[in-house]
Amino acid sequence: MTQPTFKSANRRYFRAFVPIMALYLLILMAGKFYLNSLTAEPQALQVAIALLAALPMAAFIGIELRFIAETDEYTRAIRYKAIAFAAGILVTAIFTIGFLQLFDAMGAIDVFWFGPAFFGLYGLSSVYLGGKAGL
Amino acid sequence: MKNTLRVLRAERGWSQAALADALGVSRQSINAIETGKYDPSLPLAFAIARLFERPIEVIFSDEADV
Repeated sequence: MTQPTFKSANRRYFRAFVPIMALYLLILMAGKFYLNSLTAEPQALQVAIALLAALPMAAFIGIELRFIAETDEYTRAIRYKAIAFAAGILVTAIFTIGFLQLFDAMGAIDVFWFGPAFFGLYGLSSVYLGGKAGL
Repeated sequence: MKNTLRVLRAERGWSQAALADALGVSRQSINAIETGKYDPSLPLAFAIARLFERPIEVIFSDEADV
C-alpha cells in the first residue's frame, strides 16, 4: 500500500466529512421536527434520536483522527498540538465552571456546548500554530 | 537547522506548491521548512535530498556547525 500524500488524505477526509455532516444535520432537524409533531414525547424515542445524532459526531472524530494519521508530518504535529491546547483550555474552563457552580456563584450550563467549544478551540489553535507562531 | 531548500527550489523554478506535490506534503510544510519554523523528519529530509539529487548534509546543516 502506497503512503498517503497530503492531498490524498485531504480528499479522503472531505469525501467522508460532507456526508457525515449532512447526516448529522438531517438527524438533528428531522428528529426535532418529528418529536415536536407528537402530542407526547416518549422518553425512549427522545433517547434514541439523541443517540442517533451523536453517532455522526463519533464518526467525525474518527475521520479527523484518520486524517491526522494520514496527513503529512508537519500538519500532523500542528493538529496534535492543537488538540492538546484545546483540551487543556477546555478542561481548565470546565474546572472553573465546576468550582463556580460548587460555590453557588453560577447556574447550570448545558453540557452540549462543550463539544462545539472544543472544536472551536481546536480550529483556532490549529490556525495559530500553523501561522506565524509555527511549532 | 539551516537549509538551502529555497535556493534549490528557485534554481529549478519550482513553486512551493509544486515542490509540496512532488514530496506528497502540504505547501505549508515546505514553507515551514524553508523559513526554519520546522525541521523535517529523517524520511522527509532524505526524500528532499533524493529529489534534488544532493547529499542531505548539503541541504541541511546544524546551526551549531555554522
